Amino acid sequence: MDKITAMDKIASTREAFIAGLMDMAPDDPKLCLVFADSLKAARATPFTEKYPGRWFDVGICEQNAVAFSAGLASTGLKPFFNTYAGFITMRACEQVRSFVAYPHLNVKFVGLNGGIYGGEREGVTHMVFEEFGILRSVAGMEIVVPADAGQVRKATRALAKREGPAYMRIGSGREPVIFDDSMDFEFGKARVLREYGADAAIFAVGPILKRAIIAAEMLAQEGIKTTLVEVHTLKPLDVDTIAGVLRKTRAAVTLEDHNINGGLGSAVAEVIAEREPATLVRLGLQDVFAESGDAELLFDRYSMGTPNVIEAVKQVIARKRK
Amino acid sequence: MLTEKARMLRRDVFSMIHQCGDGHPGAALSITDMLAALYFHVMRVDPQNPEWPERDRFILSKGHGCPSYYAALARRGFFPVDWLPTLRKIGSPLQGHPVMKKTPGVDMTTGSLGHGIPIGAGMAAAGRLAKLDYYVYVITGDGELNEGILWEAVQSAAHMKLGRLIAFVDNNGWQSGGVIKDVSGLTNLAAPFAAFGWHTQEIDGHDFDQILTAIEKAKTETERPSVIVAHTIKGKGIPFTENDNSWHKRVPNKEELAAALQYLGGS
Repeated sequence: MDKITAMDKIASTREAFIAGLMDMAPDDPKLCLVFADSLKAARATPFTEKYPGRWFDVGICEQNAVAFSAGLASTGLKPFFNTYAGFITMRACEQVRSFVAYPHLNVKFVGLNGGIYGGEREGVTHMVFEEFGILRSVAGMEIVVPADAGQVRKATRALAKREGPAYMRIGSGREPVIFDDSMDFEFGKARVLREYGADAAIFAVGPILKRAIIAAEMLAQEGIKTTLVEVHTLKPLDVDTIAGVLRKTRAAVTLEDHNINGGLGSAVAEVIAEREPATLVRLGLQDVFAESGDAELLFDRYSMGTPNVIEAVKQVIARKRK
Repeated sequence: MLTEKARMLRRDVFSMIHQCGDGHPGAALSITDMLAALYFHVMRVDPQNPEWPERDRFILSKGHGCPSYYAALARRGFFPVDWLPTLRKIGSPLQGHPVMKKTPGVDMTTGSLGHGIPIGAGMAAAGRLAKLDYYVYVITGDGELNEGILWEAVQSAAHMKLGRLIAFVDNNGWQSGGVIKDVSGLTNLAAPFAAFGWHTQEIDGHDFDQILTAIEKAKTETERPSVIVAHTIKGKGIPFTENDNSWHKRVPNKEELAAALQYLGGS
């Protein structure tokens, strides 16, 4: 019944992406891969060995890689460009916007090392916690952030079938397994994972969802009943599901491995402002830069720990009752 | 024949910019002869089927020269000539810079400089993968060679041996702020391409024999991309616009338009 696992294992979202693409590649010869000297980082050898000719490595130049991908896509190919997420979405931001999104070309971007979870040891230059905000403001760009490797594989298959530009954030390859294999992935749908009650809603995205699940369980043991919602598709946002939960709870906490500005917290705040008033606390990086270190410890240090979620839930409930 | 086509395109360009009240006549006029050669002699295209997968591709990397491009496409039959006066107006398929999904015959959206060669490389690589024999032509500006992304693609296109990628550099010697050697210091434009492994040629970009011969020669290079540095005159074809950088972005008034049309043999 419950598709959430014990969450004590890890599995690679990078390998899962390549596996997902290989699920689709035999039946869709238009699918191809583009790298910016990122073939090894992407763990893409199984694909490149099986499909020589269906991949292109332009070298360490992400802007060129995106423009090159636009050229490929203009002929009907379906390139997936994969490298470090920040280099796609920040260094090549203009190419993504003007030459892929504006002409609505079928280029998919797969950003690895997204958030603290990805680049925890490399430091801030190799992390990115701004890209949800950047890409949410680009017209027509779809954004997906699966919670674990199994979901990445399914999300990859879903994206391969979609027309137009999209971005998927993946991680370092050491993400917790959250769902068992039977968990589906339905593009564009927010899903209610736990419905203990309507005291407050917790909205979470990405592998950090694990902490939200634990927090919701601990709160339930204290008698505080939340509704936990995974928002794996940030754009298009499932406004109706989110608004429906807010209507019941009138209090919400968002949790994301991202700056609190521009990402899930901002998106939920927009729904609150436009559709269903509620109290809100946004958890994520509080408009500061992170640092090198173990990801789980960094989350605790930068106020994304389970205790932070618990405290935030209590806070929004108290404010609601004022 | 090409000379007359080019004169017609230049008449269109000046008229369009006059009617629209905005645009870059100087940059449009220096590329007119190359566009006339490409669209009326060289390129394998079918105006009735602008999405034909086997067509040759063209990218106007210096998108601000688009009045010439639009005129060439209209006169080649991709869309009605009476669209031309709608340039840059609300609802027009002719945007201020080229947009592939709004204008029949435009193979790629451009405007932000430096992107023609990178995108063209992708098109050429895709053609090779699909075993199609189309060529990809790019016209890039000379000032545009300041852009870093362009050199990223010069490296990778040579490495990929994209022999069907043929780029012109419209070497009119000017950029927005003045003479290129003063503004950004670029000289000897072919040399860096050669250093990265491209086949290079230098021609008079207003001499049709030289343009056509250079393209034929570039086509014989199957293992490396080609650049044709075309020495051109900014504002070419109208005596009072030639080599006068005030026409980089300037709108001809009624008298100037009449004088230009008279010179170009139209009315």
